[in-house]
Amino acid sequence: MTKRMIVATLALAGIFVSLYLLLYKLGIIGELSCSVGSCETVNSSKWATFLGMPVAAWGVAWYVAMFILAIVSTGERFADSSAVSAMLLGVATTGLLFSAYLTYLELFQIHAICQWCVVSAIIVTIIFGFTIADYAEKNSQKSTLS
Amino acid sequence: MAANNPPKKKNVVRSASSRPTGFYVALGLVAVVGASILGYTLTRKPATVVGTEIKYDPATSGPSQGYTIGKPDAPVKILEWADFECPGCGQFATVTEPDVRKRIIEPGLASLTFYDFPLPQHKNSKAAHNAAACAADQNKFWEMHDRLFGSQDQWNTVATDNPKPFFEKYASDIGLDTKAWETCYDAQRHMGRILANVNEGEKRQVGSTPTFIVGNKSYPGSIPYDALKAIVDSLTPKPAAK
Repeated sequence: MTKRMIVATLALAGIFVSLYLLLYKLGIIGELSCSVGSCETVNSSKWATFLGMPVAAWGVAWYVAMFILAIVSTGERFADSSAVSAMLLGVATTGLLFSAYLTYLELFQIHAICQWCVVSAIIVTIIFGFTIADYAEKNSQKSTLS
Repeated sequence: MAANNPPKKKNVVRSASSRPTGFYVALGLVAVVGASILGYTLTRKPATVVGTEIKYDPATSGPSQGYTIGKPDAPVKILEWADFECPGCGQFATVTEPDVRKRIIEPGLASLTFYDFPLPQHKNSKAAHNAAACAADQNKFWEMHDRLFGSQDQWNTVATDNPKPFFEKYASDIGLDTKAWETCYDAQRHMGRILANVNEGEKRQVGSTPTFIVGNKSYPGSIPYDALKAIVDSLTPKPAAK
């Protein structure tokens, strides 16, 4: 499996994690209860909505975009494209920054940690790592060829 | 002739089947596992609530004192540990509890005792428990309980740093002697009782709110009416057969 294929697989896993959080936020699944560090605290805080949409919905949208982009990038047509690598890295960077902001909110504003948000943050970080590696690889190939 | 033809341009669009099988297997596995977990959580029936047996020695319990509604000699006693700022407790109090009171408590099938369990991350919760305890001095705990849960979004940590003006208004709305209530509130007269109730909950392994203890079993989470009724029914002594 190439790095891009790993990114696509991780993004698919991320879709399910963020979908779970979205359904939880909408009250469709999950047991409503509060404990120290619970997802309930995080998901019912004022930061659980961003630009009028639940943060979990932004998560689903981001993972879907990342998944589609990564799948397309695994086609032979784009196999050596450093532009596609740059796009993957760009999308991954926005995800990493947003995820870092959410983790900051959990730690220093909400004072509670949601384990599913942590899982998502880990997936985003790994995706970011693979997109960096992919970008570096494609650029080194490009410089070798030229 | 063929030799004169320009070399065919390599077909650069990789067909789907040229991706390694392992990739499809990995995607399939993630999809199956993810969909199974989501499907399970979506279809799980909340009515089948299973309690966890708790170890509890009444001899070591502290001077806790809850707030009870219903007949003191009701055959079943429902104990609730709750946090006024917890959304799950608010959901139980505003959605489920009216039914519980009307169909379980009022007919005398069970009594309900509320115990304080303010969680540390809810900064205004202790103040809310203090407000309710002071209302109890004037026999209006449950009226304050209902106002606090019904308007959680007005006074919770997210809404304000100073919840007292809201509590003052609720005290006035439910017809309390506001001067006496305020003296009690400012002096935090019942903080000892509140902490004793928390302590009592911890002794009974309460780890989240709301938690219900009925008989010797603990049920964490906002329990649906049907599930609670089934638990009460299972503990109600059956009349002796003639």
